[in-house]
Amino acid sequence: MSILIDAGTRVLVQGITGGQARFDTEWCLRYGTRIVAGVTPGRGGEEVHGVPVYDTVARAVAARPADASIVYAPAPMVKPAVLEAFDAGLKLVVVTAEFVPLHDVVYIVAAAHAAGATLVGCNTNGVISPGKSKLGGVGGTDPAALYDPGRIGVCSRSGGMTVEISLALRAGGYGISTSVAMGGDLVTGMTMGECLLRFEQDPQTDAVVIFGEPGTANEQEVAALLRRRLITKPVVALIAGAFQEAYPRGMSFGHAAAMIGSEDESASAKRAALAGAGAHLAAALEDIPVLLRHALAG
Amino acid sequence: MRRLTEDRVKGFLRGRDHPVPDGEPVTTGADAQRIATALGRRVAVKALVPAGRRGLAGGVRLVDDSEAARAAAEGILGTDIAGHPVRRVLIERRIDIEREWYLGFSLNSTRPEVLLSTCGGVEIESLAHGHPEALIRATIDPMRRLPSWHAADLWVAAGAAGRTVPALAALTVALYETFVAADALLLELNPISVAADGTPLLVGAMMAVDEAALFRHPEWQHDEEGDDLPANPRERAVAIASRTLPGGECSYIELDGDIGLLVGGGGAGLYQHDLVIEHGGRPANHSVTPPSHSDDRKMKAVIRAILEHPKLRALLVGFNFTQMSRADIRVRALIEVLDAMSPRRDALPIVIRLFGAGEAEARDMVAGRDNIHYLPRGTTLREAVAKVVALAATGRAPA
Repeated sequence: MSILIDAGTRVLVQGITGGQARFDTEWCLRYGTRIVAGVTPGRGGEEVHGVPVYDTVARAVAARPADASIVYAPAPMVKPAVLEAFDAGLKLVVVTAEFVPLHDVVYIVAAAHAAGATLVGCNTNGVISPGKSKLGGVGGTDPAALYDPGRIGVCSRSGGMTVEISLALRAGGYGISTSVAMGGDLVTGMTMGECLLRFEQDPQTDAVVIFGEPGTANEQEVAALLRRRLITKPVVALIAGAFQEAYPRGMSFGHAAAMIGSEDESASAKRAALAGAGAHLAAALEDIPVLLRHALAG
Repeated sequence: MRRLTEDRVKGFLRGRDHPVPDGEPVTTGADAQRIATALGRRVAVKALVPAGRRGLAGGVRLVDDSEAARAAAEGILGTDIAGHPVRRVLIERRIDIEREWYLGFSLNSTRPEVLLSTCGGVEIESLAHGHPEALIRATIDPMRRLPSWHAADLWVAAGAAGRTVPALAALTVALYETFVAADALLLELNPISVAADGTPLLVGAMMAVDEAALFRHPEWQHDEEGDDLPANPRERAVAIASRTLPGGECSYIELDGDIGLLVGGGGAGLYQHDLVIEHGGRPANHSVTPPSHSDDRKMKAVIRAILEHPKLRALLVGFNFTQMSRADIRVRALIEVLDAMSPRRDALPIVIRLFGAGEAEARDMVAGRDNIHYLPRGTTLREAVAKVVALAATGRAPA
């Protein structure tokens, strides 16, 4: 098992004829992802790496049933692309684009709830269930060399850090059930708390590692779920960005979402809330396997 | 987010048939006098700067004749309000105000929020502090939008009564639609005044829009007040590069330390910055480099800014194991900037922790350069930070 995707997940690629989509599709196929169809309006009848292309999502899923879609539409086209996927009944949609207008984001997040679907992203480099399937650019051209299968769930606000967490886990002899880059934006579809509730239900995940940053309520939400005992599996947390507190609030040191809005959005406040709720705080990546060993032995 | 000046906000509101006072932006006292005469002499003179709280900063004056309008405009033009030089003022017709309301919309989390009050005309922060019960707040479902009965309910809760309720509700619904149409992150109408005949007028209007949505609003692409770029020449150069060159976002924030950070935009950059401080080092900057792009000018702009910081004693090129980009593209950009520098920085210790596609080529590029330490595969981000902090310390003069 794993969360979100496994070896049987049938995947649709929206915007498959674009450059990044072609590249990722090739390496996903090589990894074993079951990509069944692609969609680009006006390009129906073509093929990309042997995958048939359709003009609309409805036509694609009628011919080749799919469970999940990864959307490569550019930011201005994300909203209609995602709504089209929900309309066609897809229950998992992953959005890669960065800089999607916030009004579009909150609309598609509300639409996901209304459709009973899961939206991952925007601004994610993907999801990987090692040894089974992956969606998006995660792992680049050699995912097998970077992500080992195992029993630890990973949820990160940074796509880049998922690979560092994977390498730190490997150094301690651990592998991953599913690694989720939830997206670095101010508002995302699946929140960190929602992701951890899925790991809680997954019989093949023993513990979870989260990577957090300043900004947003995600880490505080996880702390609340821990306090309410809705999450009972061990959570190891690495929260970066405490240095920002030495500078005026509102100063941006990276993604807009990593800006401290209110006091409880600072890295220190998040660390304190998580530690107070029973999470295991890692000061550095190297601490992660040590903390896991301790937590899983206890 | 981008804050628009009031004339642009009101132009947008007027274009959507919302009631706004007549007015015109001017750049001289003589024009102020001419417009004031045309508007009937009793006018407001408002500094056009992209900032809130102008009233408190002396940027708004109410006058009763066109001579006074000229004097007020000349008094405000050329001054500095909230850090912005005043180049234009808005001359606007004043009306007799019977009552004042407050209405604001904001978007900074999963749902848009509406905030309203029958006690308008004052700073909303002071109202929230002194009389929180006078402020009514609600979230809006972006799919359902704002139904008129919901808006009416909120105004009744705020203390409105009688025939103004449906009028306020209709105005609120229409302004929410405008808020969405503008891709605004903040739209504040304060005050909304009601004239003696009961007609509402949007006297004060402030709006900040989502920069990610400017493709839908080309008229706001260019900031009319022009210069909201940083004053620091290195920060300024990177800000200009970020706006004008192709590829993703880049940024450079100069700090007081001596360890340069050439890092990505996401978590690994934040993590390494924390680690430098934990190891006793002091970063000279924070940076966001764009993802690899066929055009490397943005990357080079960031590298140049970092290397030109006069306090720089060591540089960390630290990235997470790359999944989407190539190591050689970044290292080539670094080498090309280094080789073009005058005077040369051949003694600057540089630590590179960059693994993934293109790594072998990148290592070849730095071969033979004694000041560049390309760390072996498997080195952790923390070990790379420890190395650069140690190298910076050896280069630092004893205190």
